[in-house]
Amino acid sequence: MIYREPKFLPGGDRYVLIEFGNEMNLELNFMAQGLATAIEQNRTKGVIETAPCFASMLVHYDPDAIGYADLKKEMMSLVGALGPSEDIELDSRLFYFPTVYLDPWTRECVRDYCEKIVKKEPDPEFIARLNGLKDAQQFVRVHSGTEYWVASLGFWPGLPFMMALDPRCVLTAPKYNPPRTWTPQGTVGMGGASTAIYPVATPGGYQIFARIPVPIWDTAQRFPQFENSICLFRPGDRVKFVPCSVEEFERVEAQVKEGTYVYNVVEYQRFSVRNYKKWTASLDKAERF
Amino acid sequence: MLEILQPGLETSIQDYPGRIGYWNQGFPPSGPMDSWSFRLANILVGNDPGAAGLECQFMGPTIKFRRDGVIAVCGADMSPKLDGQAVPLWESVTVKSGQTLALSFGKIGARAYLAVAGGIDTPPWLGSRSTFHKAGVGGMEGRAVKAGQVVPVAKGAGKPGRKVKAGCRPQFATDKRWSIEAVPGPNDDWIDEAGHKRFLESDWKLSSKSDRTGFRLEGPQWTFAEKAHTKAPEHGAEPSNIIDQGYPLGAINLAGQTPIILVNDGPSMGGFINPYTVPSAAFWKLGQSRPGDIYRFKAISVDEAQELSRKLNAMCGESSIA
Repeated sequence: MIYREPKFLPGGDRYVLIEFGNEMNLELNFMAQGLATAIEQNRTKGVIETAPCFASMLVHYDPDAIGYADLKKEMMSLVGALGPSEDIELDSRLFYFPTVYLDPWTRECVRDYCEKIVKKEPDPEFIARLNGLKDAQQFVRVHSGTEYWVASLGFWPGLPFMMALDPRCVLTAPKYNPPRTWTPQGTVGMGGASTAIYPVATPGGYQIFARIPVPIWDTAQRFPQFENSICLFRPGDRVKFVPCSVEEFERVEAQVKEGTYVYNVVEYQRFSVRNYKKWTASLDKAERF
Repeated sequence: MLEILQPGLETSIQDYPGRIGYWNQGFPPSGPMDSWSFRLANILVGNDPGAAGLECQFMGPTIKFRRDGVIAVCGADMSPKLDGQAVPLWESVTVKSGQTLALSFGKIGARAYLAVAGGIDTPPWLGSRSTFHKAGVGGMEGRAVKAGQVVPVAKGAGKPGRKVKAGCRPQFATDKRWSIEAVPGPNDDWIDEAGHKRFLESDWKLSSKSDRTGFRLEGPQWTFAEKAHTKAPEHGAEPSNIIDQGYPLGAINLAGQTPIILVNDGPSMGGFINPYTVPSAAFWKLGQSRPGDIYRFKAISVDEAQELSRKLNAMCGESSIA
């Protein structure tokens, strides 16, 4: 649900988490991103930075410049001034990534976890079973059957938190307990209803089942997509995973290494919330690919 | 200029408050874990309190000075010696070109800070010189310093013989037990009453699987409120799972049953609940504790946490120097 009034949840002496609702949908993400933009434009006194995510936004503030009560008042007035998300139209880039699903690298990582930390069912089979799918093959069809919406960046520099745009492809999964100590670079994973790509080898808590050879962050800024930022994505981008073979993965990996890889990105489209909602309303959400 | 003869266990360049303003892209602030000792070291040598210095973890480095200057060592006692002569902590001292400063194992505390008049002058990256090891950015080539590296230092004019006044510096636990303040929230309502009581009344051992991204704690199991079991499936099925959200620095992040305090190089977002947050004024205790040490948490309010922070910041100034 979307709350009638956002909740203000303190995080120590310098942070407050503003929660707009307790589910995942585009509207909540637009509220979080919209408030972050409003704070930036308004240059709200005492706000150091924000971190919007799916259904909430974290504010980092300076308590010597603004008190908790005043901050709350300021935020409420900015939330009140946000227009309806129905009217939002924005430029949205679409990235295509060659993706090896059910790949040997994440299999090995899960095997290592089972051996060293705790035994668990292989991730793709586990997700398939929890979501009532026939097998891992159908899981691949469903997971790769939709575009993903980049709702925010976080956890690690450049890591995209994404949600499936096609409601027929929404899947859910629990996160690891305890988390993994390592994950291969370029791993695609999911937790809750969120899908992410691991920019580098890091610990992680998502179920993992695929890998891409394309860098999504690059401190050396070797490719034109990194001209303005070392992070590839910005909120409002979309991602499509295109299943490919290990051979294709290795071919692209070699091109990336040589610096000859050309990013497959479409830049002419605008995303209309009204059109999107009209489309999703017309779908039978129980259908699976 | 500082020539690194031996790097120590993990010695890195840090500045304060670090790399601020990139939390929404996933960049942590980094910076010194015990910013109280760090700032005092800078003030002693006449620097801006946030100027870049060295953080020396558990076992310090051996450094040769290539220029005359003034330095100060604060924080953990690593028995610093200048050409074999003991160097007092919490005091600015003169060094001559060619002299060697050697730090050894920390006897009390975990992290020592070395400030040099003028401040370390490596190129800033995204507005800060702080090292973020795991991503390989900032500091010297993005990593802890290595033997043979020469660390550049800006020109500065410090005075020797300046001391931190008694009562103005942190007092480190000598019995391996620490009382750590914690503010309930943001996700305190996911824990049941028994869970809160257990958290506040139990000993929590700092795990050796801890680093500058997170401090893992070992202790009793957690129990959860009704909402952790009845939530929508997009949160994830485990009780500690929540729709991915921004994490406050200092959050006590509950990953399954393992609480992890998210510290200076920690993640900005994720899908686990944060029932409590360690406020900024208690970070120096985290920075000076060692694996195996015991934490007891004490719940305080937002107002109390802000008041503690104000008091601490007031001590990071010239008024603390004699």
